[in-house]
Amino acid sequence: MGFIRDRRNSSTNTSPCADLRTAYHNCFNRWYSDKFLKGHWDKEECVSEWDKYKDCLSKHIDDKNLSRFLEAEGLNRIPAASSK
Amino acid sequence: MVKAYSQEHTYKHPWERVTSASWRKFADPENKRTLSHILQVDTLNHKLEPETGKLYTTRALTIHAPGPWFLRKIVGQDICHCVESTVVDAKTRSMQLATKNISLEKYVEVEEKIRYDPHPDNPNEWTICRQETCIRIKPLSTLASMAEKIEQKCVDKFQQNSAKGREVMERMCKYLEAESSSRGISV
Repeated sequence: MGFIRDRRNSSTNTSPCADLRTAYHNCFNRWYSDKFLKGHWDKEECVSEWDKYKDCLSKHIDDKNLSRFLEAEGLNRIPAASSK
Repeated sequence: MVKAYSQEHTYKHPWERVTSASWRKFADPENKRTLSHILQVDTLNHKLEPETGKLYTTRALTIHAPGPWFLRKIVGQDICHCVESTVVDAKTRSMQLATKNISLEKYVEVEEKIRYDPHPDNPNEWTICRQETCIRIKPLSTLASMAEKIEQKCVDKFQQNSAKGREVMERMCKYLEAESSSRGISV
């Protein structure tokens, strides 16, 4: 069914951010293992990687479900997960 | 109409290594082939509480929606977005993940909760993973008459995928173990 293939392709439309995403996730994974788990949780790292990635993401998220969710939760503005 | 099931798994790796593996499991190219239903993972937000050692993260998972062909036909799409909220408490050594779908939610709600804790029998070497999954087909959806069947299909698919997830986690743990022994770092 052709339409399924088309939709799969359109789902990867945030790929302009793929490199920035990888850079941030690599940085995060290193920080998590080497710092956070060892008790050095006093300061965040990967800040510039995060800022670049997040800027890109907010420009390119055009999936309606995801942007609706982001608007509803205000996740792009306020800190996440205080519900826990 | 609700299907719920829970699973437990012991990783013979320390909690630090298992939770590191959990963060990496969708990103590794080797794993992408096994977990081919995960198309994309984006971090939406994160927050570190320096005074408590708690890390909160929200990620969006774009997944190839589970379900038989007629489900795809009716809902007209085969990708689904889920939001995963994670809390890691470094002081008490616990990691909790909760994932639910934010698309197709008028037809089906899937909620999955995973906890990683040090195993009570061997807290420094082993990790226990407890997973609860709840799948609810909306009774008033056009799918109601087929719901029973679809739920079972969903459960089957989720169980297949969580088995794949464990396989990937075991592989990541081994990889991290090898990496840490070569770097002299203990994760």
